Amino acid sequence: MKIWTSEHVFNHPWETVATAAWRKYPNPHNPAVIGTDVVERKVVDGVLHTHRLVSSIWYFPKWAQALIGSAKVCYAREHSEVDPAAKNMILRTINLTFCRHIAVNETLNYVPHPSDPSKTLLKQEAVVTVKGVPLNHYMEDLLANKISNNAGKGRQAMEWVIKKLNDEVKDLTRSTDEILNSTKRSIDDIASSAKKSMDDISQKAKKSFDDIQNLRSGNFSEF
Amino acid sequence: MNSIGEACNDLKRDYDACFNTWFSEYFLKGHTNDSMCAPLFKVYQECVKRAMKDQQIDFHEVEKNLLGTEQERKPPQKPS
Repeated sequence: MKIWTSEHVFNHPWETVATAAWRKYPNPHNPAVIGTDVVERKVVDGVLHTHRLVSSIWYFPKWAQALIGSAKVCYAREHSEVDPAAKNMILRTINLTFCRHIAVNETLNYVPHPSDPSKTLLKQEAVVTVKGVPLNHYMEDLLANKISNNAGKGRQAMEWVIKKLNDEVKDLTRSTDEILNSTKRSIDDIASSAKKSMDDISQKAKKSFDDIQNLRSGNFSEF
Repeated sequence: MNSIGEACNDLKRDYDACFNTWFSEYFLKGHTNDSMCAPLFKVYQECVKRAMKDQQIDFHEVEKNLLGTEQERKPPQKPS
């Protein structure tokens, strides 16, 4: 079992981030997501509960397909709760297709930042469990790295959607120069924070790629 | 964004548009009554459930613990 966690701050209020979360797909940073559908949705005691089916394409190296199965379009089930009074949005995703060998449980939690209500804190956690597949720990590391990469793209996607929403608002209210300048400053902040995250993630991805190469060339001294 | 069922795309688009408006203009402002988009949702949901049945996607598969039981699916056997 492998646990991966991360925290990230968006320089936008919680309502903006929660709205953007529903409009996340499609976006250029997550081209693998090819479909989302709401299967169930209702408000219970002021909290919005939603069940969604998310379809995406995962590309695994051929040698891994023999272990996992040749499923290329993968389905995941996402259960989310939005509590507008408590300003808490939580999304839990578990993949369906891989359940025979691998379970990926991912949780995203958006709350207002504890020390700055104009910002939003995202806490992300993924638990990967692999059973009945050789090289369990290796597969778990591979998936955790993949999740880490996707998480970075997910955050970029959110920024992209938020910017799109902000642009729509600007058009609607005929923006002034002041609004334009402050948006540009926000985007500069976001860009530098995203770049730092991407650098971290690129290093981890490279290490994981090197591990795959070692395994392919039969260099087992590392394992 | 597409639906898993191609026939549901238009229904999905109409429902999503209604939902996005309801979510930011009503729900987040404290109006938790969800009847505004209910008719659109009903039609869209029926289409999705039909598509899932056609594509044999079992949404509740994840709730069953399949690993280690007879229902656990094995990797495909390589032809020798």
